[in-house]
Amino acid sequence: MRILLLEDDKQLGPWIAGGLREEGHVVDHFVDGKDALVAAVGQEFDLLILDRMVPGLDGLAVLKSLRASNNSTPALFLTALGEVDARVEGFEAGGDDYLTKPFAFAELSARVGALGRRREVGYGPRPAETTLRYADLTLDLLSRKCERKGQPIELMAKEIKLLEYLMRRPGRLVTRTMLLEQVWDMSFDPTTSVVETHISRLRAKIDKPFEKALLRTRRGEGYVFGA
Amino acid sequence: MVRKWLLQFEWLLRSSTLRLAALLSAIFALGFVVAIFVALTLGQRALEQRVDATLTVLAQGSGVAQTRVDGAGMIRRPVHDLAGLPEPFRRAVERGGGTLDLDDDLMGSDKWRVMVASDNDGRPTMVAVSVEDSADAQELLASILWTTAGIVIALTLAIGVWMGLLAQRRLARINRTLGQLAAGDLSARTVHSQAKDDLDDMSHNLNQTASELERLVSQTRRLSASIAHDLRTPLARLRAQLEMLPEGDGRAAALEEASRLSDIFDTIMRVARIEAGQGREGFEHVSLDELAQDMAETFGPVVEDEGKTLNLEIASSATVQADRAMLVQALANLIQNALVHGGEQITVFVDGYSLGVADNGAGVEPAQFSKIIEPMVRLDAARGTPGSGLGLALVKAVADRHGAKLNLAMHNPHGLRVTLNFTQM
Repeated sequence: MRILLLEDDKQLGPWIAGGLREEGHVVDHFVDGKDALVAAVGQEFDLLILDRMVPGLDGLAVLKSLRASNNSTPALFLTALGEVDARVEGFEAGGDDYLTKPFAFAELSARVGALGRRREVGYGPRPAETTLRYADLTLDLLSRKCERKGQPIELMAKEIKLLEYLMRRPGRLVTRTMLLEQVWDMSFDPTTSVVETHISRLRAKIDKPFEKALLRTRRGEGYVFGA
Repeated sequence: MVRKWLLQFEWLLRSSTLRLAALLSAIFALGFVVAIFVALTLGQRALEQRVDATLTVLAQGSGVAQTRVDGAGMIRRPVHDLAGLPEPFRRAVERGGGTLDLDDDLMGSDKWRVMVASDNDGRPTMVAVSVEDSADAQELLASILWTTAGIVIALTLAIGVWMGLLAQRRLARINRTLGQLAAGDLSARTVHSQAKDDLDDMSHNLNQTASELERLVSQTRRLSASIAHDLRTPLARLRAQLEMLPEGDGRAAALEEASRLSDIFDTIMRVARIEAGQGREGFEHVSLDELAQDMAETFGPVVEDEGKTLNLEIASSATVQADRAMLVQALANLIQNALVHGGEQITVFVDGYSLGVADNGAGVEPAQFSKIIEPMVRLDAARGTPGSGLGLALVKAVADRHGAKLNLAMHNPHGLRVTLNFTQM
């Protein structure tokens, strides 16, 4: 993936750029908002990673200008402003995701993967799809029925939401924070093991009785469904 | 229906200016009535004295017993010879004089003033004059006075109400602005009038206060944003450096501590933000039983895995105006607290406008209730358990933000019961 990174911090910038390059991405790293805007207008990127507060033009202004000129490249905001208002501002400016500092590199990597793949055509079920299928597992979102190998599986409301989120992102790393935000609407860490507990319940229902496990844990990073 | 119609005018009764106008009009009217009464009574008495003086003089004359001059009649008789006069004259003589009314006219008059006096020879004599004309004049005067009074009082009341309404409208404008400010719209200002009076001074001061408030709030926001930025950036660098270290050498433990540090910082910022927030921005209708059910489904399995039970008790439910995300976090904190410090049974309950969490653990001494709500306070017994001491402070901030009462109580037979009591909104 070709990624534009706007981050002025002398330590964080190289760390993020280096980490992404190690994962095989091509990274153009800028420390000034104007330079980043010029580059984003002139060249094609797969993803923009923008820091909210940089000298000159900040990330928010850069993305607003780009969106105003119909540039729809996915954008991820990095910010030291953790507040809900700031988040809302970011989404309103056309941002696709929002990550608060400090963050683990694995968290950033998972979100980069999720945003990048959004552009790939034919990958994963389309958002409007109401019946999700993966291998021998089927989840019907309308009738709220789930079955594997023809055997019906009883799921709770939250488990359906969790499974839907995972099935829409097969083969991708999904972190605990992403699940909290998207499945439980919690932008805070509930300290209790909400995600772990529900994942293990879900696993007991969709994986345990069958031969092949679909949901795998990647230690210290998150979860991967299928593939 | 009449009640409903009347309720529309309730604000009229609540208006202090209108009350004042009504009170002044009432006092004015009362004064007017008393003054007219006094004037009429005194006038009557003065008139009677004049007539009596004339009668005394007439009694001393002699000759004509009955005359009628220009419609004003006069009768003079010795007291023992009242023959031919109507009955009331005799009774008046027995009383020693006075004013009398006749059923039929006598000499063209039905109102007479009677007096018993001595004539020139010292014999007791009755003298009477017709007073119908002066009585008519008195009545006319009274009716003129009462009519004038009625018109003046009505005018005063009308002017009073009109001026009251004018002042009321200005006050209502000020009140509306205050309401907007209270609801969080700090850009609300009231309009100045040209009156240059105390209400105008008040509007002016209100606007200045609002401007100052707006400035302070935006300053606080900027400040907290830069504090957040200045603290999160080094934390992010720390995390980056730790991640770059090779595995082992306590790297995992150090990363864990770094996470804990940023979690505590996040919570502090969140509490500050909730406390600094105003108005109902982001508020929506939240059904308390649905919220409790949602929480039970989310945290039930977590509690079960700890070998405890999460119960859901819904007596009756209500819908409140609230920031759902904040309530979720408050309940999550309470459940977390109950899980760490409480007993085997944790209950999420909803009863009308009350929402809360109870446990059957050792509970907390009632004397300590106010203490554990304070930020960073952890009772000695809790020192060894995980937690930042910010859990209840956040719950308190959320309660305050919603105008809800945070109530801590002993749970029956033992344990802690924390309730958020929403006022009916």
